[in-house]
Amino acid sequence: MNTQKDNLIERVLKNIEEKHLTPRPRYEFILKNYFFWTLGALAVAFGALAFSATLFEIQNVDWRLSVATHSSFFSFFLSAAPFVWIITLVLFILIGYINVRRTNHGYRYPLSIIAIGAVLTSIALGTALYAIGFGGRIDEAIGDHPPFYRPILATQREWWLAPEKGLLGGEIIKAAADLSSFSVKDFSGHVWNVDGSDLRGPDLATVARGGIARIVGVPVSATSTLFHACFVFPWEMRGDFRNAPPPRPLAAVASSTQAATTRSDACKNIRPYQQLHDIDD
Amino acid sequence: MPQTPQMTDDASDEEIVRRTLINKDAFALLIKRYEAKLSRYLTRLGVGLAEDREDILQNVFIKAYKNLNSFDPSLAFSSWIYRIAHNETMSFFRAKHARPQVILNEESEMLITELEDEMADTSLLAEARLSKEELTKALETLPQSYRDALTLRFFEDRSYSEMSDILQVPVGTVSTLLYRAKRALKESLPKTFLP
Repeated sequence: MNTQKDNLIERVLKNIEEKHLTPRPRYEFILKNYFFWTLGALAVAFGALAFSATLFEIQNVDWRLSVATHSSFFSFFLSAAPFVWIITLVLFILIGYINVRRTNHGYRYPLSIIAIGAVLTSIALGTALYAIGFGGRIDEAIGDHPPFYRPILATQREWWLAPEKGLLGGEIIKAAADLSSFSVKDFSGHVWNVDGSDLRGPDLATVARGGIARIVGVPVSATSTLFHACFVFPWEMRGDFRNAPPPRPLAAVASSTQAATTRSDACKNIRPYQQLHDIDD
Repeated sequence: MPQTPQMTDDASDEEIVRRTLINKDAFALLIKRYEAKLSRYLTRLGVGLAEDREDILQNVFIKAYKNLNSFDPSLAFSSWIYRIAHNETMSFFRAKHARPQVILNEESEMLITELEDEMADTSLLAEARLSKEELTKALETLPQSYRDALTLRFFEDRSYSEMSDILQVPVGTVSTLLYRAKRALKESLPKTFLP
């Protein structure tokens, strides 16, 4: 046994000698440790960006109006839920976990602790980023690039750029003094002349305020740019201060005589009339 | 044999590590201290051939020497070098596409007793005595991770915290591994040993 021991000691030391082996410098290990902590922290930071975009999407999808834009809540959920951002968040948390695991004592922390820590940090940072207006910028800036993803604003503009389906979104650029008609510049730049004779108090207040709005109504004809409005809903952007122009006061709020108490048959024939009527109230 | 001046056998591992960083010959003391222990550990991990164990041990000590600066004195040196030995052994099995053998040597009687006591405490085992062969057969059916946990706990007498440092998993995972390993071992034992 002693001979074996001596042999191993001699063999190891001889190997060290012959191959000129030296202990790797301490700074390499320190740098490596910092490197993995940094990657872990970066992953959480990206998770925070993803969360701020998720918040932005959730805040800016008007779930109430899904009755107008989609045939069922399920189809609305599939097209509106921020799956890409949620997957991105989960992915970055996993990347964070893998990197933290590779730090000196990282293996001591269970996945659950790291995941909960990373999620909470991402949520806290993401909420702060959203609050200072980053959510929308990230959604637009990053979201524009991947081929499989469209930012929520672009998606919503698409939903509300369907006058043939009775959905018109855009900026109210001018209104008659009595609000019986107004002009809307849609998201593709076309200007529509909108008949507001069927609108009621809340709709008229929205028209009077100006700014970006969503209109549910009936196209007068397939070829003209005349639109009969039944409901007007404001489009208030939350968590983004860049794209949404502030509403401009176009007219005084309609008087009670201007606010029709009942809508015409043209409006009553639109499919989710009752639900929209309830939302409008 | 190279001399290691000013270092005695009762010097702590950490002192020898510090000394080795100044004079590589001091490393001989660490090799001397851990060679037999690690060789037994390798056997228990399933490295059956003495030549293979020697090769692995040589790699373990060279790797340890090269990475001495990564040794964190807040851990036990033995945990650190056992970790290297464990990883090196697993790499060896992967490279050889070999399934580890279960080898219970002359110490197995003591180990069986320890295991029996532990399992009796947890009501997993009846009063009947296990033979070395029966235990070997049962251990052979277990996944590697379960065997690693049982080996460190019962054969190497390691604490949960040391096992966590050697296997590089959280302490909670060590507990889970041991619990599952004992249950799997119970299921693998002949029916006569079960309560």
